[in-house]
Amino acid sequence: MKYDVVVVGSGPAGSVTAGYAAKAGAKVLILERRAEVGVPVLCGEGISKNVDNFEMLKGTRRWIANNMDGARIYAPDGTRVTLAAERAGNEAGYVIYRDIFDQTLASAAVHWGAELKLNTNVTGLLTEKGKITGVKAQHFEEEIEIKTDVVVGADGVESRIGKWAGINTTLKPIDLETCAQYTLTNVDVEDGFCHFYLGANVAPGGYVWIFPKGGGVANVGIGVLSNRSESGLALRLLDKFIDSHPGLKQGKPIRLLAGADPVAEPIQTVRDNLILVGDAARQVDPITGGGLTHALEAGKIAGETIGKAVQMQRFDKQTLLPYETEWKKAFARKLKRNYMVKELFLGFDDKTLNKLADSLKDYNFNEINTLGLIKALAAKHPTLLGKLLPLIKISTI
Amino acid sequence: MAKPKAVVHEKKCLACGGCISVCPQDAILMIASKATIYQEKCISCGICVKTCPIGAISEGGDKK
Repeated sequence: MKYDVVVVGSGPAGSVTAGYAAKAGAKVLILERRAEVGVPVLCGEGISKNVDNFEMLKGTRRWIANNMDGARIYAPDGTRVTLAAERAGNEAGYVIYRDIFDQTLASAAVHWGAELKLNTNVTGLLTEKGKITGVKAQHFEEEIEIKTDVVVGADGVESRIGKWAGINTTLKPIDLETCAQYTLTNVDVEDGFCHFYLGANVAPGGYVWIFPKGGGVANVGIGVLSNRSESGLALRLLDKFIDSHPGLKQGKPIRLLAGADPVAEPIQTVRDNLILVGDAARQVDPITGGGLTHALEAGKIAGETIGKAVQMQRFDKQTLLPYETEWKKAFARKLKRNYMVKELFLGFDDKTLNKLADSLKDYNFNEINTLGLIKALAAKHPTLLGKLLPLIKISTI
Repeated sequence: MAKPKAVVHEKKCLACGGCISVCPQDAILMIASKATIYQEKCISCGICVKTCPIGAISEGGDKK
């Protein structure tokens, strides 16, 4: 059996790529290692409401758990900065059920003509004279080979597809957030807002989040930068945070997850007969660690690009390159800029973060722009100015 | 004496894949939703040990 496209991974990036390629007429197969799409969830489950218009998500709305009107950010000393959606042109958001979300996308892909095979672990690429011609996989005890013109690596943070094709996707520890998350029931947290807690003792190089799901349930998670981590540190710090938080400590876990989130710079995502998309392509915001909307956007571009390639029956790097050009045009600049902001923030100690929050707590986010922001900061804490000057340069990139 | 190689506590592992993404030797695979370290490839750098958010990887020690 030969396919036009084999997509490795049935997460959002994979299903969307598969869906749009199938819609464009390609013969598509999605391979999923797990026995159920979307399970186990590996995600904080927050997403921007920008996804409302995404066609593949319109089949059902059951993936929405709760509505968010804004975000509250807490400095190490507790100073609170509020980013309210109605005030800031900020993105309002949803807290979602990621398993249902992924299954909604996979269903749409199948509805548009893609095939989906579960319990199939891709173990290598097939090549002929150096050219990629398919994948090797294990389906239960059976070793199988599947021929295809294009392999899509949508195999997540741990992606090995890129490596097999000669793209170095190994993350440096400074470019990985190592995460743990409980879904707690019986909690008492302020609804309608996502809450983010910063501090060297709270989450070194990362943050703790509370995403309320409604009905006394919330995702409470932590990301710690891997180069500041020790074995099991993320979970220990998360337990400590929950114990010290009055609204959480009586909560009981109904789920525990581990996670890994790439916070890296953009990479190359195209080779002859091969495309990387989603977390595998490091399409994640280095500040927030959010990647879902990028995965949807890039997946759509990838699927459409592959659709055209299938029509032309050309699958070389040059033919697939419009995918990379377009996704980079869409959001790589933001990723690069936010990577630099991440590096800047990693140099801030708790005292600096406290001062920053103190300057921003009354700031009118209607007028948000880098220069105005820096002026507001400098007015209250002039010593911040020097530390924040790199932002001006970053904002011009 | 050589440093002990990294070992995954299979019952603890929650299959997040973080260790695989940072392994400089490509020595870790996900098999049946558990990270598995290929001892012959492991260079005992300890990066995966520090990276594991729930402490499911240790240097040497008991595999249970």
